[in-house]
Amino acid sequence: MLLIDCPYCGPRDQSEFSNGGEAHVKRPDGSEEISDREWGEYVFIRSNPKGLFYERWVHTHGCRKWFNCIRDTSTDEILEVYKLDDPQPPMKKFENKIKTPSGEPDVGSGNFTVKK
Amino acid sequence: MKDLNNHNSPFINFNQRINFKFDGVKYYGYKGDTIASALLRHGTKIIGRSFKYHRPRGIYTCGIEEPNALVQIVSEYSEPNARATIKKIYEAMEVESQNRWPSLDFDVGSINNIFSPLFSAGFYYKTFMGPHKSFWKKIYEPLIRKAAGLGKPPKEFKAISSHLHHNVDIVIVGGGLNGLLAASSFIDTNYDVLLIESDNQLGGILNNSSKINEIDGKKPQDWVKDTIENIEKSKNIKILKNTLLTTYNYINHLIAVEDKYVGAKPAEDKVNSTLHKIRSDHVILSNGHIERFLSFQNNDLPGIMLGASFEKYVCRYGVIPSKEPVIFSNNSNSNSLLQSLLQLDIKPKAYVDSRSGEQIESELFDLIRKNDIPLYTNAQIKAAYGNKKLEKIVIEDSSGGTNEIATDFLCVSGGINPDVHLFTQSKGLLDWDEKDLTYKPSKPFQKTINLGSASGQFNFEEVENEINKKLKIFKLKKIKVEINLNSPSKYKIQKLWEVSPHKPSMWSKSFIDLQNDVTTKDIRQAISEGFDRIEHLKRFTTNSMGTDQGKISSINALGIVSDLLDKKVNEVGTTIYRPPYAPLSFAAIAGRNSYEFYDPERKSPIHQWHIKNGAVFEDVGQWKRPWYFPNSKSESMHDAVQRESKNVRENAGILDGSTLGKIEIKGKDALQFMNLIYTNSFTKMKPGYSRYALMLGEDGMVKDDGIICKISDEHFISTTTTGGAANVLACMEEYAQTEWPNLNVYMNSITEQFATFNISGPKTRDIMREVFSEIDFSNETFPFMTFQFHEYQKTQIRIMRASFTGEMGYEIYVPANSASKIWERIQEVGKGFGLIPYGTETMHLLRAEKGYIIVGQDTDGSITPIDLGLNWMIGKTKTDFIGKRSLTRSDTVRPDRKQLVGIIPSNKEDQIQEGQHILLQEAFQTPVPMLGHITSSYHSPTMGHTFGLAVIKDGHRLIGTKAFASTSEQKTIPIDIVKPIFYDEKNERLVS
Repeated sequence: MLLIDCPYCGPRDQSEFSNGGEAHVKRPDGSEEISDREWGEYVFIRSNPKGLFYERWVHTHGCRKWFNCIRDTSTDEILEVYKLDDPQPPMKKFENKIKTPSGEPDVGSGNFTVKK
Repeated sequence: MKDLNNHNSPFINFNQRINFKFDGVKYYGYKGDTIASALLRHGTKIIGRSFKYHRPRGIYTCGIEEPNALVQIVSEYSEPNARATIKKIYEAMEVESQNRWPSLDFDVGSINNIFSPLFSAGFYYKTFMGPHKSFWKKIYEPLIRKAAGLGKPPKEFKAISSHLHHNVDIVIVGGGLNGLLAASSFIDTNYDVLLIESDNQLGGILNNSSKINEIDGKKPQDWVKDTIENIEKSKNIKILKNTLLTTYNYINHLIAVEDKYVGAKPAEDKVNSTLHKIRSDHVILSNGHIERFLSFQNNDLPGIMLGASFEKYVCRYGVIPSKEPVIFSNNSNSNSLLQSLLQLDIKPKAYVDSRSGEQIESELFDLIRKNDIPLYTNAQIKAAYGNKKLEKIVIEDSSGGTNEIATDFLCVSGGINPDVHLFTQSKGLLDWDEKDLTYKPSKPFQKTINLGSASGQFNFEEVENEINKKLKIFKLKKIKVEINLNSPSKYKIQKLWEVSPHKPSMWSKSFIDLQNDVTTKDIRQAISEGFDRIEHLKRFTTNSMGTDQGKISSINALGIVSDLLDKKVNEVGTTIYRPPYAPLSFAAIAGRNSYEFYDPERKSPIHQWHIKNGAVFEDVGQWKRPWYFPNSKSESMHDAVQRESKNVRENAGILDGSTLGKIEIKGKDALQFMNLIYTNSFTKMKPGYSRYALMLGEDGMVKDDGIICKISDEHFISTTTTGGAANVLACMEEYAQTEWPNLNVYMNSITEQFATFNISGPKTRDIMREVFSEIDFSNETFPFMTFQFHEYQKTQIRIMRASFTGEMGYEIYVPANSASKIWERIQEVGKGFGLIPYGTETMHLLRAEKGYIIVGQDTDGSITPIDLGLNWMIGKTKTDFIGKRSLTRSDTVRPDRKQLVGIIPSNKEDQIQEGQHILLQEAFQTPVPMLGHITSSYHSPTMGHTFGLAVIKDGHRLIGTKAFASTSEQKTIPIDIVKPIFYDEKNERLVS
């Protein structure tokens, strides 16, 4: 279980939170000006990288506040937590820190020895 | 009978006898005994029958790694698969062996052993294929399930557990030599330390063997006692005994189970076990090592035991399983077993070592010589024989000659493995040590520190150095410890996984997994059939599965596989060790979240009145709602619903609608916010008016509906569906915080603060006039879809003119505390007008007659407001609301979308049912092109026949045509497709 550092309440167990998917996805206004494709991409398409990810969480069983974080999806490590109105922190400073569990390869089985 | 007690053991109280029963026979042990140690005291060898072949099995180990000695504890709600090697006995305990019929000694299932040449790896997959698919489900599987397996599941779930949370700086797992030394170095520091030990005694190897002679100039027992005393004096260290760490999660989140009743019968009304949920900065793993066995012919016979386990029984449990055992080893770890035996003047019958004379430690050599023990070097045990238990062994020496020795006991050691399960659960990386022939922790993934044999460091002389080096980061005082050893300090081992068979026979077996009855032959077969990846091999053969997870054997299997494939063991890899480390009971995981606390029940403020008036309840989410009110015990649900519905249409009815979600929205920008959340426009709506509104997802699909009351531009109250309340509030909060933080708006749930009564029917106005005599209910002052606040008996109530039944009606909102008083007053007055309470089923019927949808029943997340024919609810002039743009996407404007229609059977006697598919053709021919399905269907007492709502492709255009509903009997019923409204189409009754 993750330990998530709510920017309003402090570190709490994951069970108090709900995940809100990718962060910094801008909602276009609902006008007819934008194309079906553009709107469809906002509604349906999200990125799902293995590695660093801007992500939204909400402290459902706590302060009920939404906030953002940078999480490494391959290790589950939460590298930075920030409020919605804080500036989006650059990912660059974490790029060298990526390590995967047990040094497994970038894709595929969790057991690297199986792949050999 | 020979006296098998070792009275020197300080852990057994030989003055206190404890009586218990095993398979109905009375036995006794002493205070401190496990079931296994007590049975060994009586020379009992057979404890159970094996999983597949029903071969007799005995006690193989002395701890959590036990594959064979699993028993059913009858006196504890029939707890199955308890390990006899760790479960302590208590007075009047009742234990039964498992997987045998009719008795342990004579077991009918053992015929499987005779047919065993048939039961090779993958036997079930390959054999039980035909002649028809259904044979597996109906014949083969029940038969196999009956014959194979372990214990029987208990019939009742009764144990009570509680959960406890810890937040600490350091967790030390294992209170052996290294754990105690590590804990000592944290004495009187600022670190919060938790020391976890699975046994009820701290000391580990110091209690279990005679490896260490003196420590800091003291006898090991005295040293342990003094050390514990010092640790207990320190206020920052807490010791948890009888606590097994089962799970090592991410961010040093650990789960451990504490047994509160070790050596005692669990009390029925008290907490039996505590589940500790621990969060720690650092975790120190000093949980030691596990000895592994060796594969040779019939290596499963009762009377064969691991060498270190034998020594543990002697030292820790004061019982000598046999006074003339043979020792068979390929490593130096068995030296101390010999020491322990000789200290008690017990001479092993023979010492068989696979190593050559030069490789064997000189101390061991001298000891064996001095005591005149037959020594076989460069030798292997080829086979064991015996009828139900060990009788003789065959030794092959370096020259190739064989010797047969009659013996009743054999101690086996195939080397030792660091107990790496928890380390790998933490995602730490292992590496194969070619010298010590085992996987050792190499790279931690979290803040994990391995100490002692758990780290693969088997040399006692290095203990001091290792601790000082690895705990340096904590800036502690360095420890000093002087260890005086009995046995060689360096660990040496010779490679040996499996002994080549003595006399290959169809029936004799060389086991690699004792619990799952997997033989080395199965491994060979799996590889020859292409299952050469270790994870595949495990699933195909079931090797290292089960309750022990192959703790004493999985490394041997890797060794055998690596030899067969001619690969290095590191290339073969290990299967992944997943939590839990050892089985833990569901009761421990459930904690207090069981029975009535499993899922909370929500009840309306007038729940007691419903019970008194005979309501039958329906679960709606967590809510208990009255389903219908039968007027007598004999009245069926159908009759009750028909009666209730008719009465609402003719007189009046009242429904407890308190479960409806209610959300209050306030703020300067509340109006703008509501316009964005709901499809409707609230801008021109006057205060005091209310409106039926739809909420969409961004994909344009209907998510919820409700009635919105506008108190002012800055204050709204909306209702939601009973099930959608939490989601609607969450959605509002999300948009208010993430998309439109510029809007000044606040929202709060007021669902439980107010009760709601929905009263409707032609006589409603008369009832309301009498109950609330000061209010003018005329159409002029109180028109349809308006609401008013009133003071009634010093309570502020809100009355809204609205209806979900199609009859004229009101919704009355009252504070929960006054709910039952006002409800009862309405009932009292209503009696004279024929008012009856009705339940959710009647509500569903009445609203369906009117064509009102229920979100989640008539919609399924793929239906837009246009599909429902509710275009009028979309605020055309609004520039934006959630899901607006999606309503003009090419996919949402397709004409052939599924749309809501009404249906009536063409032949009025026919019954249509919810879930039936709608077809265009009469003939039932597969594949059937389906148009859609019936979402709601009821029998209407007003119309006198069944009717329904359905979503069908291009439905709006098909209104007025005919189609067919398919039945589960592969027949079709002709139906008419009609507009989805069956009653009072002009709304005359509604606004009357």
